[in-house]
Amino acid sequence: MTTLKRCIGAAALVVAATLSAGCEDFLDVNTNPNAPETASANLYLPPMIHWMVSSPQWDGRFVGRYTQQWVLAGTSLSTWDRMGYDPGSDNGAQQWRDVYWSFGQNLVDMMTKAEAEERWDVLGVGYLLKAWGWQVLTDLHGEIIVKEAINQNTFSFNYDTQEYAYQEVKALLDKGIEYLQRTDGAVDASYLARGDKMYNGDRTKWLKFAYGLLAIHLNHYSNKATYKPDDVIAAVDKSFASNADDAILAFPAIVNDDRNFYGYTRGNMPSYRQTQFVVGLMDGTQFGGAVDPRMSRMLSPAPDGVYRGLDINVVGYGALTTNQRPNNIWGYAATPAAGSATRYIFDDKSKFPAMTYAQLQFVKAEAAYRKGDMATARAAYLAGVRAHMDFVNARNMDAGGTPTQITAAEKDAFLASPAIAPAQVTLSHIMCQKYIAQWGWGHNEIWMDMRRHHYTDMDPVSGTQVFRGFAPPTNLYPDNGAKIVQRIRPRYNSEYVWNRPGLDAVGGLALDYHTKPLWITER
Amino acid sequence: MGIHDRARSLLGLFLATALLVAGPSPGAAQAQATGTIQGKVTDAGTARPIAGAQISIVGTQRGVLTNQTGDFQIAGMLPGEHRVRVQYLGYATSETQVRVTAGGSTRADVQLTQAAIDLQGVVVTALGQTSQQRALGTAQQTIQGVDIAQTQRENFVNALSGRIAGVEVNSSSGVPGASTSIVIRGVSSISGSNQPLMIIDGLPVDNKTVSTAVMASDMGGSTTGLSNRGVDFTNRASDFNPEDIETLTVLKGPEAAALYGIDAANGAIVITTKRGKAGTGGFEYSNSFRIESTRGRPETQQVYGPSSVGSTTFLYYGTPYPDGTKFYDNVDGFFQTALTQKHNLAFSGATSDSKLSYRVSASSTQQEGVIPGSMYDRINVTGSSRGEVTDWLTADVSMQYSTDANDQPFKGASGPLIGLLVWPDTINAKDYLTPAGARRRITSLSLSSEVDNPYFSTTKNINTSRTNRINVNFGLSLTPYSWGYLKTNIGVDNYSSKLQILRHPESALGYSVNGVLDETDDLTRNINAQTILNFNRRPITDDIGISGFVGHQVSDSRSTYTSLKGQDFLDPQFVSINNTASRTSLTTIRERRLVSAFAQAVVDYRYWLYLTLSGRNDWTSTIPKGANSFFYPSVSGSFVFSDAIPSVGRFMTGKLRAAWAEVGKDARPYAYRPSLEYKATSYGGYGYGFTGPNLGLKPEFARSYEIGTELGFFDNRLGVDATYYRKQTRDQIVNDIRGSYATGFILFNLNGAKTRNEGVEITLRGTPIERPDFSWDVLANFTRARGTVISLPAELPESYNADTWLYGNVRNGTKPGLSTMSLTGYFYLRVDSAQGGHKGDLLIDPTTGLPLRSSLFIDGGYDRQPDFLIGVTNRLQYKRWSVDFLVDIRKGGDVFNGTEHYLTARGLSPRTLDREQPRVVKGVLRDGKHNSANPTINTIVVTPAVQTNYYTGISEELFIEKDINWLRFRDVTLRYTFPDGFLAANRASVYVTATDLFLLTNYSGMDPIVNGNTAAVGGSSGIGIDYGNFAMPRGLNFGFSLGF
Repeated sequence: MTTLKRCIGAAALVVAATLSAGCEDFLDVNTNPNAPETASANLYLPPMIHWMVSSPQWDGRFVGRYTQQWVLAGTSLSTWDRMGYDPGSDNGAQQWRDVYWSFGQNLVDMMTKAEAEERWDVLGVGYLLKAWGWQVLTDLHGEIIVKEAINQNTFSFNYDTQEYAYQEVKALLDKGIEYLQRTDGAVDASYLARGDKMYNGDRTKWLKFAYGLLAIHLNHYSNKATYKPDDVIAAVDKSFASNADDAILAFPAIVNDDRNFYGYTRGNMPSYRQTQFVVGLMDGTQFGGAVDPRMSRMLSPAPDGVYRGLDINVVGYGALTTNQRPNNIWGYAATPAAGSATRYIFDDKSKFPAMTYAQLQFVKAEAAYRKGDMATARAAYLAGVRAHMDFVNARNMDAGGTPTQITAAEKDAFLASPAIAPAQVTLSHIMCQKYIAQWGWGHNEIWMDMRRHHYTDMDPVSGTQVFRGFAPPTNLYPDNGAKIVQRIRPRYNSEYVWNRPGLDAVGGLALDYHTKPLWITER
Repeated sequence: MGIHDRARSLLGLFLATALLVAGPSPGAAQAQATGTIQGKVTDAGTARPIAGAQISIVGTQRGVLTNQTGDFQIAGMLPGEHRVRVQYLGYATSETQVRVTAGGSTRADVQLTQAAIDLQGVVVTALGQTSQQRALGTAQQTIQGVDIAQTQRENFVNALSGRIAGVEVNSSSGVPGASTSIVIRGVSSISGSNQPLMIIDGLPVDNKTVSTAVMASDMGGSTTGLSNRGVDFTNRASDFNPEDIETLTVLKGPEAAALYGIDAANGAIVITTKRGKAGTGGFEYSNSFRIESTRGRPETQQVYGPSSVGSTTFLYYGTPYPDGTKFYDNVDGFFQTALTQKHNLAFSGATSDSKLSYRVSASSTQQEGVIPGSMYDRINVTGSSRGEVTDWLTADVSMQYSTDANDQPFKGASGPLIGLLVWPDTINAKDYLTPAGARRRITSLSLSSEVDNPYFSTTKNINTSRTNRINVNFGLSLTPYSWGYLKTNIGVDNYSSKLQILRHPESALGYSVNGVLDETDDLTRNINAQTILNFNRRPITDDIGISGFVGHQVSDSRSTYTSLKGQDFLDPQFVSINNTASRTSLTTIRERRLVSAFAQAVVDYRYWLYLTLSGRNDWTSTIPKGANSFFYPSVSGSFVFSDAIPSVGRFMTGKLRAAWAEVGKDARPYAYRPSLEYKATSYGGYGYGFTGPNLGLKPEFARSYEIGTELGFFDNRLGVDATYYRKQTRDQIVNDIRGSYATGFILFNLNGAKTRNEGVEITLRGTPIERPDFSWDVLANFTRARGTVISLPAELPESYNADTWLYGNVRNGTKPGLSTMSLTGYFYLRVDSAQGGHKGDLLIDPTTGLPLRSSLFIDGGYDRQPDFLIGVTNRLQYKRWSVDFLVDIRKGGDVFNGTEHYLTARGLSPRTLDREQPRVVKGVLRDGKHNSANPTINTIVVTPAVQTNYYTGISEELFIEKDINWLRFRDVTLRYTFPDGFLAANRASVYVTATDLFLLTNYSGMDPIVNGNTAAVGGSSGIGIDYGNFAMPRGLNFGFSLGF
């Protein structure tokens, strides 16, 4: 028995010793084996670049209706076509999601790593993404959460003024430019290229992109006394030099998430139709009969071959017969069969822009116009129109679109038309052509342009509205209190449910909050 | 160190311990003249022999089990006085004094009485320990395996409903293999599991229901998710054969289960499986044949036709059908009469000295569902053996293998019921294919907008699972000294499940992506090892004794899921991932490890006062280091006042008990640090998932107390067991609670919720009639359980599980002050000022005359918790005939009839037949004056036939049916037992069992027992959310059993 006792004693000791030594190791299995907790800085980039290009498309379904790029043809007038919103819905707040979450902590981590590893190019891109995020978010929503954002230790957030958001954007752009100019440290184009399929790691193109963001940012001050057109022009001049510099992303179109959001496979746009307003800008109605050669390459004809737009105040197709109803953005009456050729930037694989040379030329034109430098304004305006015609050709080429290429003769003829290129271009020329150049993709900037011109401001020279032919909906959404939309309400499932006190402090709970004008557009 | 190494070293350690201990054998040869004790153990009521009763000689290590005929024999007894103790689960322990003479044989025949609330009864408690009922300070209840088996339920969990006070069983639907959840003492966890721990033969077994979250089609950003509501899978407890269960004990509260630790915070279900019984060996065969048919159908109108034929999503606001329209009864032809057969065969036996026993059983179940194509097949092979290697060492091994196959239709919105109901009665639904074999269309809508034809859905969409499971439990019991014994068990629970979900390319669900096929493999391997050193009772004084044990447990649970999704089918009919043009994959590993140490001491005073103290410390892998070790105690007491006060004891037996316990609970794996996930957006890359960090995550604690009494009158022919309990959870971890996106994330796992549960459980047991030829036993269980949310983390306004947001705008949202089973929704806006005397009236849109709805999820005063549940079991025995039946009653609790809302919005419900009738919705116009003293009363006339929005936009609120009651005839068995020797069998009987025979309820839908989700969803899940769900069918079983 004593042997047995000793054995048990020994066994107990063995057990105890093994347990105390091994317990900590044994329990150390809570590192998620399914995904890493951290990644190298460049691997955070692809989703962020994807969303910088794509999330404006998501919200563009709604902003595009405020700005009358398209209308949702249905059995009743849609809330957004009436400049309203969808209560209890996250519609119109995809960029809210992506700036706070898809960028969010990912961007913080990427920049922290890039800084520690002296990857100034990656860090510079990080600053640009951050600046871009606050810029589009404040332009869409007005007051936003900047100072307190990206903090997991609190669940109530205070909003910052738009003025503060604008200052922050400027500061971030300055930082981004500073870092992108550096070539020391671990700046490495091939490393950046691993995550950057937009510029393939080319730091100098990102630097141009930075100046482009700066130009757009500074130009938004057009209603403010501090507006400095020279700074805008200088920034444009340091930015894109040609369409080759365009910030443009291709879509692999292998799975759902990496397809062009407007492509037919994703099926988001089958009921959207071009408006009378955009057709009016291109079919000669607003510009002395000059038919824009881009119309037949961007917009869709009806089955009878005529280009028509829908009246946003009329339900569905109104009195149009089946043959007169404009086709959808892909050029068909319904969603086309798999493999069908489509139009412009609306194919599954169509490259999609975040910023273009043409767009910036119009920014420059506007700044020069406001400065009174009409020659520079006209030159930039013409460069913008011409560059955009090339852009349309390129896009129809990349995805094998149905439209033919715009010939050199067509371009020249159009630009020779006095209605399009008078000796003295007007603000309305610049803004309307900018609208066309941004139609279908530049939703954020189009809406800022319209709000900066208070939708229906008059052009002092041409005697027309700056946006020729634009009229707000006659049947405004009930909550608007007869006012025109100025902002989108912050994301419902982020703010209206989970941050109501913060939202209340800026008046966000008011039923007509979406009609409250932005600080930046107030004179 | 790898996983395998780790497992190997665990096993090594275990074996080393066993070998070290097993080394020398204490010699026990005694060269003295000895005698023998022999006897027979029978049931005092029925006089039938009790096999397997445990015979022990008090004060010695000697003991045997009775054989098949109830006989036992213990040889080699020293002459003199001995006390023979006879114990058998469910019976009162008996002790008899005998005198042994050298070379003589002494008889000790014992009659055991069934323990109603007999305080002498022996019961299983936590950790496979046994205790006398009188010593227990906590509530627990046991039912016999035979009572479970005779209900003929494939999933034994379904047999528990109504049989145990405090237990609520919820099966998701009436489809074969539907998952069933079980909740003891109400929902306390807002987002986590509320299900109890399942223990078989002392070790935990897995009762998981697979979550669709592990499927590639449910990956973040996916548009093809089924979110635990489009499909269902069996809960894994269903793998076990009900015929193998000897007894099942429910440890109800944390007090009883505290020793099982963090997984038993919601109680524990402790199952003891059958073992071979002493005798010469024999075999038993039983079978069951069942016919099932569906119960009722929702009513639909046949007056108004579709709004515009061919171009609507089945809206029935059109013109009346012309006279003479030919209607097809599409519903009636759909359901089939389902046949099920079961065969059970068991061999068991033991050597005459009971030193070696064995039992081998095999069982086969083939179940058909009433929905065409649905089925559940299972084969079980079980073996167990116990051997007394030496006087002081007993080894026990049990193994069970099961293989099951389950085919289910889709569920809810994507399931066949919805298609069946909205299919136009003027079109024969059976004609669902074109001559070319493609889906036959009846509208010009896109394929994805046209609801699937139900026949097409059940034939072409597939949800199958195939599972193979092996469960091994090896135990050693060492009794080296008289003062105690060591019991050590190691168990491996291993299974693989293959899940296949096909959304046919032409189906509504599959069309937009040209078919989706999901293939998911679940490989689960759980290892548990447990060692307990028991100290037998040791007298301290004449009156006071102490006993106890110390032990430790190690467990390692790991599941690996490999999921493939293929979409875009080449050949639309060929089912294989290889036949898809676009494929995605996802692997998910979930592992948790737990190390525990525990101890318990019981002090008794004169056998009528007991105090039990226990403590347990857990070290878990899922909580950050530093906070992952936590200790919690429990204390309970029992006072047998009928023994303490003999004058009371003459009239009754009675006991008071009280218990207090604290129990901790950990988080799910990987909950505190966010991880990156692969993003399928352009050019891949990494980004965080939805869930943000919580580096300060700590365990949650439930603190609970209960008081109760057990009373017996008239020689225990009437017994009462009553319990009141109250449990409060603090620092409760709420998974996936939302916050502002400004945090940088969307969801969080946060500590900080507080919930309170309280309730009453009463069990009444009586034997109104007890005669040799005729007896009647009644058992009634009463349950009242209420759970309330006191606070949510970080003062966030609402917590809900997105999977439960499965129909319209109603979900299982809860807020502080509400029930743990509340519903939130876009409910009607109402006057909130009492000024004008219209408080609570509907606010009406001044332009349409229709009521206005909230655009926020608000509380509407809805609660799915029942007021109480009652289960009444009756057993009548007349000579060789017996009848057993269970009536299940529920009072109160709301059920959302989403199916009826759907039918109403579509104009199919008979309630829409009044559509031509103009009416004014009672309420107050929202014109700014609505909260004033003079609100404008609505006078706007609405005619639904014209303003179809009256019905199409009707609030779900009107379809949440309040206070649903039911009386349900759960099961009834009529059995005739033949005399011994009939057909040369020992025991032969024939029986008829009817299941879910009838249901009386004020619920307007088909069956108020419903879960819109599966048992995989935590919190209050989708219980009571009825949308497109199939009711429990009615079943009639018959069969016979034979024992040789």
